[in-house]
Amino acid sequence: MSDFEPNGLNEKLRVLIETVDVASMLTEPLTRSIQDLLVVSASQMGSAEASVLVRDGDEGDLLFLAAIGKVAEQLVNMKVPAGKGIAGFVLSSGQPMAVSDVGEEESFYADVDKKTGYSTQTILATPLRHNGEVIGVLEYINRTGEPPFAAFTPEQMDRAALFADAIASLVNAYESAKLFHELGEKVLSVDADLDISEVREWLSTLRGSAEHRKTMDLAIMLREIASRGETETELCSQLLESLLTYLDAKAETGFLKY
Amino acid sequence: MTAVTGYEDTGSLSRATFFQIDDSWRSATGLGVSVAVIDSGIDTAHPELTGKVKTSVEARVDNKRIVFDPSEAGDSAGHGTACASIISRIAPEAELHSIKVLGAGGLGDGQAFLAGLEYAVKNEFGVINLSLGTTKPQFFAPLHDLLDRAYLAGCVVVAAANNLPHPSFPSVFSSSLISVIKSEETDPLKFGFHFGEIIELTAPGVNVRTAWPGGGHRNLTGNSFACPHVAGMIARLLEKHPELTPFQVKSALYAIAQENEASSAGV
Repeated sequence: MSDFEPNGLNEKLRVLIETVDVASMLTEPLTRSIQDLLVVSASQMGSAEASVLVRDGDEGDLLFLAAIGKVAEQLVNMKVPAGKGIAGFVLSSGQPMAVSDVGEEESFYADVDKKTGYSTQTILATPLRHNGEVIGVLEYINRTGEPPFAAFTPEQMDRAALFADAIASLVNAYESAKLFHELGEKVLSVDADLDISEVREWLSTLRGSAEHRKTMDLAIMLREIASRGETETELCSQLLESLLTYLDAKAETGFLKY
Repeated sequence: MTAVTGYEDTGSLSRATFFQIDDSWRSATGLGVSVAVIDSGIDTAHPELTGKVKTSVEARVDNKRIVFDPSEAGDSAGHGTACASIISRIAPEAELHSIKVLGAGGLGDGQAFLAGLEYAVKNEFGVINLSLGTTKPQFFAPLHDLLDRAYLAGCVVVAAANNLPHPSFPSVFSSSLISVIKSEETDPLKFGFHFGEIIELTAPGVNVRTAWPGGGHRNLTGNSFACPHVAGMIARLLEKHPELTPFQVKSALYAIAQENEASSAGV
């Protein structure tokens, strides 16, 4: 029988998690770091407006995760439908691009600008990559100074790609933290009967890199084995230990190749 | 007259090739050459492009497979229209074929454009413009296979290089395709090359004025816009020299790029 019973470990954890705001504890330092990096990189790019958009679901939609500049607060959490605007293109094509005259014609920017009251004129957008996967888009908007703004230069485009690498690592860490928090909430929610298969199914529908899902899946499997009893737990830990010993030996000798 | 020397290595066949191409391509228009644009679609109603796009198809997921249907969706992102306008300025009489693989939801990154490339190779389009790429390692092998098939079918594939600190596919494959990076050159016909590097040709890609869906124009920067310049040049070459193999096209482009660089240097 599992220890997921009232007044058991599960209940204690739940109370703890409710007391401490785990969501912000896990993700807030990361969003702050992303924000800080945006400020530093934007000043290097000669711009005061920048934003980070991340994948929202599996259909190619985007969501503003962080932003700096005049309309930052309005932008955060705003959604961008799949394939819309420069950001949507950069997400799906993996190619960075810069536009020097977004203009006032009917476009995605017109829609966003209408909501925020801002005027987008020049834009540089570059993909955020982690482990070969495009996980979001980094955008710099307008150059500092008075309009009409100068276009972003090819050198700035290359520099943006370097900033994008650093920001992508943070975004990935943020996504992991969020995933971890969501998993915790799901497992520890009061009326959860802890139906492991249901948790697994939920995990499989989660967006995020395959790597996350696999690790989480492994954790769930271990949890399930542990719930079967002491003998099973002991067997599992012996199996895993011998696997680790084998892998270490393999790494040392370089002899045992697949 | 441009003298071209190259060393062709296709695995089963290795040989040196020597040939000459006359200058007639300089005034060619790409007449009779088909150019596929694998991208976000093309706005066929744009004044710069009316009558130039011969077919338009778009990717759709059908029972986990990607199939192509005739498309009237145009271009929601603008990128494909921009690339098409660059090609058609250099090769105004080339036949454009739009293969829309971006923009629609639910299409996996890389997977749809792989299917688009396969579609283009099956249809044996003379030039295939790929202003996009993927860094996912799992696409390495299938892309390699497709590029080999393109080579054997005589399709010349031109891809935008990635200016990010990651290798991107297909632009790192050097043997069976032509990879392009942006330069600040303003003459649309002037391209250059980086000898001995993976990224090979350079073409104008900074602040390029392009068509944009809805009839307007944009000034765009990116390797994506350098790539179609070279696609247009290849259409011109193939109009005058339809017998050239993809390898010979590549060798000819190097020879011309060298001439371009010599003339800019005042040699």
